[in-house]
Amino acid sequence: MADAIQKIRKRIGKRLLEKKEDLIPYMKDSSYYEGNIPRAVAIASSREEIADIMKICYESKTSVVMRSGGSALTGSPVPYTDSVVISMSAMNKILEAHVEDGYVVTEPGVRLDDLNAYLNKLGFFYPPDPASSTAATVGGSISTNAGGLRACTYGTTKEWVLGLEIVLPNGKIVEVGGRTLKRTKGYDITALMVGNEGTLAVITKAYLKVWPIPEEIGRILAYFKDSENMGKSISNLKGKGIIPYIAEFMDRLSLDAIKKAKNIDSPEGSNFLLMIDIASTHESIGRKLDEAKKIIEEQNPINIKITRDKDEMRIMYEARKGLYSSSLGIRDSKDEYIEIGDVVVPPSELPSSLKEIEGSMKNFRIKALLFGHIGDGNIHANIMVDLKDNGYRERVEKFQMELGKIALKHGGSVSAEHGIGLEKKELLLEELKERGSMEVLTLMKGIKKDFDPDGILNRGKIFD
Amino acid sequence: MTEQNRKISSLMEELDDEVSSCINCGFCETVCPTLPASGFRSSIGARGRVDLGKEIFKEVRESGRIELKIGESFYTCLDCYACLQVCPAGVNAGKVSEIGKALISSGEITVKSQRNPIADMIVELTMKYRNPLGVRELCSGWAEGLAFDGSSSTLLYTGNMYQLMAYNKALGKLESQIGSMLSKTIAGFFTKHTSFSKYIKHFADKKMKEEMDNYLRDIYLLLKGTGTTFNYLAKDEPYPGTFIYDLGYREKFAEYAKYLADLFHKKNVEHIITVDPHTYDLLKNTVPKFVEDFDFTVSHYLEYIKPESLAKTSEKVTFHEPCHFVLRKDSYDVPKKLLESTSDIVMPARSGKKVLCCGGPDELLYKGLSEKISMERFRELKDTGAEKIITACPICLSNLKKENIVTDISSYLLEKKKNYKNSMP
Repeated sequence: MADAIQKIRKRIGKRLLEKKEDLIPYMKDSSYYEGNIPRAVAIASSREEIADIMKICYESKTSVVMRSGGSALTGSPVPYTDSVVISMSAMNKILEAHVEDGYVVTEPGVRLDDLNAYLNKLGFFYPPDPASSTAATVGGSISTNAGGLRACTYGTTKEWVLGLEIVLPNGKIVEVGGRTLKRTKGYDITALMVGNEGTLAVITKAYLKVWPIPEEIGRILAYFKDSENMGKSISNLKGKGIIPYIAEFMDRLSLDAIKKAKNIDSPEGSNFLLMIDIASTHESIGRKLDEAKKIIEEQNPINIKITRDKDEMRIMYEARKGLYSSSLGIRDSKDEYIEIGDVVVPPSELPSSLKEIEGSMKNFRIKALLFGHIGDGNIHANIMVDLKDNGYRERVEKFQMELGKIALKHGGSVSAEHGIGLEKKELLLEELKERGSMEVLTLMKGIKKDFDPDGILNRGKIFD
Repeated sequence: MTEQNRKISSLMEELDDEVSSCINCGFCETVCPTLPASGFRSSIGARGRVDLGKEIFKEVRESGRIELKIGESFYTCLDCYACLQVCPAGVNAGKVSEIGKALISSGEITVKSQRNPIADMIVELTMKYRNPLGVRELCSGWAEGLAFDGSSSTLLYTGNMYQLMAYNKALGKLESQIGSMLSKTIAGFFTKHTSFSKYIKHFADKKMKEEMDNYLRDIYLLLKGTGTTFNYLAKDEPYPGTFIYDLGYREKFAEYAKYLADLFHKKNVEHIITVDPHTYDLLKNTVPKFVEDFDFTVSHYLEYIKPESLAKTSEKVTFHEPCHFVLRKDSYDVPKKLLESTSDIVMPARSGKKVLCCGGPDELLYKGLSEKISMERFRELKDTGAEKIITACPICLSNLKKENIVTDISSYLLEKKKNYKNSMP
């Protein structure tokens, strides 16, 4: 590896970081995983540089880990073995905008909020909005097939990637997909790259579909005593053809966390908040909100209100997006860290799934915040884990497995939008077994071998 | 436990309080000005600083020592607190840097090479001469011929801040010419032989000195125009000690803050009118934590100016808000309101709680980094299409003065003063 590092140093000079102080920040993502200290970090500035670095690493069988926003929640950009990290942070330009043709071209290090700030000026937006969108990047969110709050209307990242330029592990640069909304040209390698978690190739350019910003957005905040009524509200809305722009929920502990962090109050006796955003035209937004409110009122919320006040909406939106960080505010001790559950079920199965999850939390004596994207059936559980309490850690592991099994039983999946990374490898196997599809693992391993015969890219992620 | 151990332990506790709430989400580094300016070296960004904070906490717990060379990461922090504005958990990477610098300056548990010779020089000169470059006696020239009320308990306190910019600029140019290694060596020499600092006075940038002196005279005239009477300490006026605090020399700062309080008491001061955001913030929010009897009221001169005393024009101007006004707990929006009352103000995209620092605090220690940040900010301000770029801080002004369209708020408001006769009293 020393030879490879020397060659990379010769290629990119001072942009190869090798001092321990410089390397430490690249050991972690936003999960609780702490990986090995990388041998070096290459801050790449072009596809040609990446191609050359990959050639060097391919020839020397040097392990490579890609990283950009570092906001993953499953350890996917954490160096698991002795590795060189390639940072995409400096490749952060929006290269082209063709809103008339419905797409933009960007480098992988562009942060999602920056992309949207740019597009908003043109009257457009890029819909995938993971809660980490402030830090998350185009490349990282493609690699994990990130979802987000707006996924109930717009789907996840896979719906929005038209094409990619990628560097293969052997250093060859190829383009998959392209600039057009339609194309059929054999196997869809673009789709394969979405969610590959940096195990197949390096994304150096993305062609992304964009959409016009809705004219008006209004919000309904409804507080419930129990999860069943809340769950039925969303099923009824969707059953009557109302697809919310955003449909989020938070449980009591989540509301306590945002009260502590952001001083946002909730009505007494409320155990769940349902936050529904409706997008429509200037003329019809009022009527649409009233219709949705009436449907939700049938489930007897203890408090319900409509707001179109932009500041009020922004404050709650930011509170929801910052909920992971805010969770730390209600820890019992500083030794607690947070593990995140990320399961999904068909939305109509959500009320019964939530009931079972709450029961499981009681059985395993788990403290967790339940929240998520109720509109697409995605439930997150931010589980408090005391590092000093081995018994508790074991219970958390069992609970995580149980959470996955509940999702599978209801026709869902063990991983909705965070990916597999290091964290959910066992859960992935559980899902494949449950569905009688272990052969899929063999197929995935075969694909990995075709792309990356020596397994140099992001070793130890998704599967062993 | 020895006194030194107690201090280290208290710093470690402070560090743990700050870093243990971080989940490493990375929001902070998206707004940290030094990250892109460093070429995206994570250790020169807010999240990297918090990561290093976590790591040194572990090191100290395990070995009682800090072997990691954390100096560059923490000294490059601008203390702008942009990171704090976006952190959902309220973590302040700026505070982590302050604690890191305090650990370095304690010299007890870190390796010696982490100390920055220029920082040491600045602190030594300030402690000895009450001015970071030892030029205090040259800082009152602007007030020659102006009348002050020696009996007033209200003090106009410039803190030498505007005046120092002429020397900063010249020293910055010198560093570009001789290189940072040599300038650090020279700084090390001055630290050991402080009396040689008298030669620094020859380094003043004359044009900048004249400009800054004019701004101070404009401040004087604006304040006089409000009917306020005030005293000025002239050659006795000390620097407020901002650098000592910012560079992490807490014990020395406590000593210095006590000196300031004693001096103000001796001069019968009750109320202090500051002229720049750094001194305003330091005297209002920091010094009272170090000195119990710092019982003076602190204000800023712009508070005295009534918007109705200014003429309304259609001039299109933009305003670079100082971090110490808008990124602290209580936003101070007096300057912006005054400008709104007199001009057509157009703010750059990054304003208010999203303001981008001018890079000034890195000017002396990391000139290259500072220059990149100031260029980016200048371009943003210029891109607003405004006829003038207004600043309200001498450090911002000095750093952003890439073209003549940049001016200090004092000069701008004086021009707009109704019935103002342009003559010195």
